[in-house]
Amino acid sequence: MIDLYGISYGIGKWFMGIIAAILDFFGQWIQPFQGLADWLMRWETLNVLAITIQVVIVFLFVSIINLFIIMWIERKMYARLHTRRGIMLPLPFRKVQKGTGFLQNLADGMKLIQKENITPKNADKWMYHIAPAIIATTSILVFVAIPLSETFVVANLEGGLIFVFAILAIAPFAVLVGGWASNNKFTLIGGMRGAAQMLSYEIPLILAAVGVILLAGSLNLVDIVIAQQQTIWFGIPLILGLLVFLVAIVAEVERLPFDIPEAEAELVEGWATEYGGMRFGLIFVAKWVRTYAGAALITILFLGGWSGPILPGEIWFIIKSYIVFIIIVWTTWSLPRTRMDQVLEIGWKRLLPAALISIAIAAALKWVGWF
Amino acid sequence: MVEWDLFFFIALSVVEVVASILVIASKKLVHSAFWLAITLITMGAIYILLRSEFIAVVQILVYAGAVPVLFVFGIMLTRRKMMEEPNE
Repeated sequence: MIDLYGISYGIGKWFMGIIAAILDFFGQWIQPFQGLADWLMRWETLNVLAITIQVVIVFLFVSIINLFIIMWIERKMYARLHTRRGIMLPLPFRKVQKGTGFLQNLADGMKLIQKENITPKNADKWMYHIAPAIIATTSILVFVAIPLSETFVVANLEGGLIFVFAILAIAPFAVLVGGWASNNKFTLIGGMRGAAQMLSYEIPLILAAVGVILLAGSLNLVDIVIAQQQTIWFGIPLILGLLVFLVAIVAEVERLPFDIPEAEAELVEGWATEYGGMRFGLIFVAKWVRTYAGAALITILFLGGWSGPILPGEIWFIIKSYIVFIIIVWTTWSLPRTRMDQVLEIGWKRLLPAALISIAIAAALKWVGWF
Repeated sequence: MVEWDLFFFIALSVVEVVASILVIASKKLVHSAFWLAITLITMGAIYILLRSEFIAVVQILVYAGAVPVLFVFGIMLTRRKMMEEPNE
């Protein structure tokens, strides 16, 4: 177990110690510097600094290291499903045309940053620019509450599960506004489809999680995993809830079986049609981050989080969430797109009753006294 | 010593009051809905300042997540001309 707060506090104290020593040295001649050095070494200052460093560490993990790994997994995986080799860009100093292509995504990102930032002539300027920012920030903010182990968590909130759902619920508004502000009929239709789908699939998503809340008796994500360590992974008794949650997450991030909001054949690129350069990159990255957030939530709620033998908890969590992510990628690239009426039918006639049945199973198990 | 609670309360309430004025002052109805969402999110943040996490999170989930989207859907189903000139 890595103690995230302890490490951040240590880094902050070491860094502030250097600055305070320098200030103390100059304090021989300039009196106020000594007071400043004392203030820097106080517990309150170091606490704030430690929390900031925690957030930075989690941000770096989620949006740099983790993001490159999941992008690479997805691109390699679907290339193999198409019987291609996929990205193979070698390291810059090697001449051999053989490589894993791990740095390809870095090159793509650099290309997107260098592109010109185009604003459509008739677009609603500031709303057009603010929509990708809202989506990217809310997607990354989710990871503040997701624990990788008992101690590797920034904010161990009392209602952590509802916090995650609440932050995920802000994105549909940004999708709708982004589609409207681009002033293009394809983006408008795509935005309305996207927001409607995200809103309606949130219902089975939250209902599938209610069964877990009943069994664990808590909304705190750490408590939910501890409850699973004491009994059994909730994915085994609540297999129905697990499947509903998986399908609802795939629909929530607009991946292929449910990508009616950006159906390429009808709507160019959906609500993201008019975005170019790094704004387009942000939207794409946010989709990947949300998919990984969904995989992490499934790991915590149904697959026992960081519980596992021998290896440290964080490694187990990452292995399990990547396996869930690979399953999502696999379904994405092997299933055809559903029609609009089929999307509605799956949501309201299949997933909603299935989620209610899973709640009933959870209540029955609780009543029998097995949990 | 600075009272951080007071500082954040004043900052958030300034944002909230300005946003709620812009809700009724904006020319376009979609802008009004956007400022309404900002108002509701800052209200959630003020609940966190009052040490009631749960109600803050539910505020963001229900009000900031669903209500502005429904408003914007309603606005988009009306005619484009009405959407841009609400006062005519």
